[in-house]
Amino acid sequence: MKSLKVNGVEQQFAPDQMPGTLAVLLDVLGVGPATVVAEVDGRVVRRDEFDRTELKPGQQIELIKLMGGG
Amino acid sequence: MDKLTIAGRVFGSRLLVGTGKFASPQVMAAALEASGAEIVTVALRRVDIDNPADDTLREIDRERFLLLPNTSGARSAEEAVRLSRLARAATGINWVKLEVTPDPYYLLPCPVETLKAAEILVKDGFVVLPYINADPILAKRLEDVGTATVMPLGSPIGSNQGLKTRAALEIIVEQSNVPVVVDAGLGLPSHAAEAMEIGADAVLINTAIATAGDPVEMATAFKLAVEAGRKAYQAGPRASVRQAEASSPLTGFLRES
Repeated sequence: MKSLKVNGVEQQFAPDQMPGTLAVLLDVLGVGPATVVAEVDGRVVRRDEFDRTELKPGQQIELIKLMGGG
Repeated sequence: MDKLTIAGRVFGSRLLVGTGKFASPQVMAAALEASGAEIVTVALRRVDIDNPADDTLREIDRERFLLLPNTSGARSAEEAVRLSRLARAATGINWVKLEVTPDPYYLLPCPVETLKAAEILVKDGFVVLPYINADPILAKRLEDVGTATVMPLGSPIGSNQGLKTRAALEIIVEQSNVPVVVDAGLGLPSHAAEAMEIGADAVLINTAIATAGDPVEMATAFKLAVEAGRKAYQAGPRASVRQAEASSPLTGFLRES
């Protein structure tokens, strides 16, 4: 199994199911909001960069969205 | 009403509205519409992996409203800078409402970390709107650093206590060369009107609208109060005095003086 740490939780993938890019990972997880932004090992990645951001096993990914706030 | 200019951008409304605590995205959208606001604040949070499609902001027309992300949750300058960079990536604009609130009980902003973060963010090209206590010296320091506004509190966030800091706010208004947006603690339209009457350039309301029995009606009430307060300020209110001053002429015929 290969794994990614997404928002603090270990996500396991069979070797041939490992998402190749951030865009695929969002698709697999069903992440909806248009305002999602990511950090990959601490580096900020904009939404329009998701499909060219390749993922490697063991990376730490934070998926952040805008939500209601004051 | 005269226009509000922040960092060269012109707005027709002097009421900023926060998007937290609304019962539903639909109620939020209707309240924002009724408020006439053009700037709405939003927060950044982790996507809930168990509910990944959730999007409370889906009803907001981003062509119409400027989404102003805050750094709520940050307890240090470092955390606020990290959130600001994420916010810029999420919104595509470089505006940020800087909040650094290490105290979880009163949510009062830390002046030291706020100033430190503002310096870093301004150098990084951000338009910074810092949430601060009503501290005139800090307000000047932030202005010197290059923040676009100052956002002093009326009373603690969500407390509905109104303008507890009025005397200090009056000094900030007198001395500030950047727009003064009174943020936090305004619970009633009369509080917002009072802030505008003493010369605040704008107010930010969230809890008082979002948690009202009828948020849409309350948003309308705040809109009118902000307009009334602004007009009153421009009309030049007279100072209060201790003794009576007759409005009707007393020279009369009832008795000899």
